[in-house]
Amino acid sequence: MTSARSVQTAIGLRLLPWLVLVATLSVTWIVWDHERQSARYALHAQFDFALKETVSRIEQRAAAYEQMLRGVQGVLATTDLNNQASIHRYVDALQLDANFAGVKVIGIVQRVPMQDKAAHTAAMRKAGLPTYAIYPESTGPLYAPIVQREPSFGNTGAPLGLDVWQDPVRRVALEAARDSGMAAISGKLRLAIDRQADALPGFVMYLPVFASDLPHDSVAQRRANLIGWVYAAFHVNDFMASLYGKQSPGLSMAIYDGVDTNESTLLYRTADGVGGPASRRTVALSASEYMVVAGHSWTLSLASLPEFGARTGQDATNVTAVAGAALSFALAVLVWLMVNGRTRALRLAAAMTEELREMAQHDPLTGLPNRALFSDRLNQELARAKRESTRFAVIFLDLDEFKPVNDNFGHAIGDQLLQQVALRLQSAIRAVDTVGRIGGDEFVILVAGLSGKDFVLTLTEKINQSLRQVFVVDGHEMHISASLGFAVYPEDGGDELTLTRCADDAMYRVKSRGQAGINRANSAPS
Amino acid sequence: MKIRSFVTVMALVGNLCAAQAATPECSRSYTLALHDHGLLYSAATDSGIDKDVSDELVRRSGCKVTVSLMPRSRIWQLIESGALDFSLSGITNAERDKFASFAWYFSNKYYLLVRKDSGVRNLADFERNDQLKLGTIRSFRYSETANQLVDRLQTGNRVSQGGGLAPLYQTLMLNAIQGMIIEPFDFPALEEARIRDITSIVEFNDPSVPHGLIMSKKALTPAEQEHWRALVNAMRADGSLQRIFGKYFKPDLAAALVNF
Repeated sequence: MTSARSVQTAIGLRLLPWLVLVATLSVTWIVWDHERQSARYALHAQFDFALKETVSRIEQRAAAYEQMLRGVQGVLATTDLNNQASIHRYVDALQLDANFAGVKVIGIVQRVPMQDKAAHTAAMRKAGLPTYAIYPESTGPLYAPIVQREPSFGNTGAPLGLDVWQDPVRRVALEAARDSGMAAISGKLRLAIDRQADALPGFVMYLPVFASDLPHDSVAQRRANLIGWVYAAFHVNDFMASLYGKQSPGLSMAIYDGVDTNESTLLYRTADGVGGPASRRTVALSASEYMVVAGHSWTLSLASLPEFGARTGQDATNVTAVAGAALSFALAVLVWLMVNGRTRALRLAAAMTEELREMAQHDPLTGLPNRALFSDRLNQELARAKRESTRFAVIFLDLDEFKPVNDNFGHAIGDQLLQQVALRLQSAIRAVDTVGRIGGDEFVILVAGLSGKDFVLTLTEKINQSLRQVFVVDGHEMHISASLGFAVYPEDGGDELTLTRCADDAMYRVKSRGQAGINRANSAPS
Repeated sequence: MKIRSFVTVMALVGNLCAAQAATPECSRSYTLALHDHGLLYSAATDSGIDKDVSDELVRRSGCKVTVSLMPRSRIWQLIESGALDFSLSGITNAERDKFASFAWYFSNKYYLLVRKDSGVRNLADFERNDQLKLGTIRSFRYSETANQLVDRLQTGNRVSQGGGLAPLYQTLMLNAIQGMIIEPFDFPALEEARIRDITSIVEFNDPSVPHGLIMSKKALTPAEQEHWRALVNAMRADGSLQRIFGKYFKPDLAAALVNF
């Protein structure tokens, strides 16, 4: 249960950095998404505001021009339609400077019923226009010739007398102004003053002029009592250039006549306008607004270019994403370091403990069990032997002529020799046996579970033979031998102390003879 | 745009008592703006319900009122700033209540006019289909459900705005928008075969929304607002409003509109 819990804890700790990463990245995503939505709403709001503002600027400008035209209309309320001098003086007094750059012409159109045509022509000729005629020819029954244009100089276009009633585009606006009593603008047209082939798109704004002493409160009265129109003609480009305020940067715009948007109805397009050559550029937002300017519909198409979005917090969104992701990873790494720092400390402590245990139980030079571990193994074997009524042996082994090796070649070589001796002893015994080092050149061997009668003797002779083989240490050939004494349980002793003392005695008895050999406890030296 | 100036000197003798109680002081000349919207006002003919109501108000008040025509969005802007005193047929919301006061004189429902080929049978159908666009008049608000629909579609960039009804009808014919919100004043347009044949009507399940005289709080004192409100109430009470509406609608519909 405890183990299972600790495994779960370990898994939990290992997953913790990932959980932190997922959690913080999720929070980052939520914040980023919120920022993105906010930026998008802000972008939409700003775009909508820009659209509304553009419409408003156009409407206000049209209203300003209409107001200007009302001044002319006002003059005609106090004088005759053919009082050209008075109208000339009034328009001159308007001082149409750059603020009114959109106006190309201010003029008067007279309503001439068919029956008045001849008299009208005669009057105009008499007034100083000897070649005046209403054109193009038509059968009436109504004519609407232009009878005056201001400013009068510089106008090289169609001569006076042009019957605008014959032009269907102008006629719609003339009728609308007449019936409503208000300003009306025409659809897209070519201005009469334009002589060049590729004239800019234009439009005309008309205001009706009624006989000042007759009522004009109903459509019927207005139709009956109309005497003419005052008009202002515009190039759309100039009209747009004269707008007040500044267009928001990063927006492109196009204006179409009516609600159908195609090249034939195009009135105006900014240099990077919608649908133009720049339309291949990425357009983030686009919208059309169907404006009503002096009773006439225009479609304003507005599109935002990438630089428009860059001004509305898109950068903040990116910063949020990058900073959030970086912080998420940093936090995950920090947690990983904290979690793994503890694990690594535990692992290090365990390794050190193991090392200490190893050092406490093994000989550091040969890696063989030391006296303590050997004693422990011997006691275990003793208990087993007693329990299972088996036999085992303890062999004491002391190298002969080892001291001269140290003296002649140094301790480093002596140590290497001891390491080779340890290897030969380990290879001589069985896996169940234990060989240990208990002193400078003293080794002990625990031979577990004796089977045959002479097994120990055979083993000791095998060891002896192995050690008599030449050793090569650091290029030096060396010959050594060993003195061995052994004791067998239970014959030679029933406890550790007795057995080791007996084996030690037996080994010393061999040693005391001054030559290598093997001896068993309680027996004569062999 | 100035249409006409009206100066009325005397109140009607027949309504002398009521008029005296309600008549504003006429301490200055006032401004009133109309907007071109179906039967409410047609600039093409300089006539409509709002024009008649305005004429009657001016006549009863005895004040000099300069009447002009403007886009609706401009009207609200000027009412808020105090540059314009009055307009007509306005509906309120929390935002407008801050700068405008109202004198109600009729109430009506809103309807969604949709192209038949859009496959829309109810409001959800329209909202569900991302390809469908709604046309609205800038600054117009409607009944609650209609407002919610407009706001949601606006978020999805699915609303095209116009300065008046005429371009929206034309756009609907061109299939650049597939729906628009209309009121009973817009019904005559539906009698045109070219519109009637391709459209159908979906009703918003909202109660009727009261419309009234819009009064700028910045331009008119509360006492003045009360005087003008009393004038409107008198017009309702004596049947003048119903008579005006009767010129444009069948009697039962006219009654339903003004008796709310």
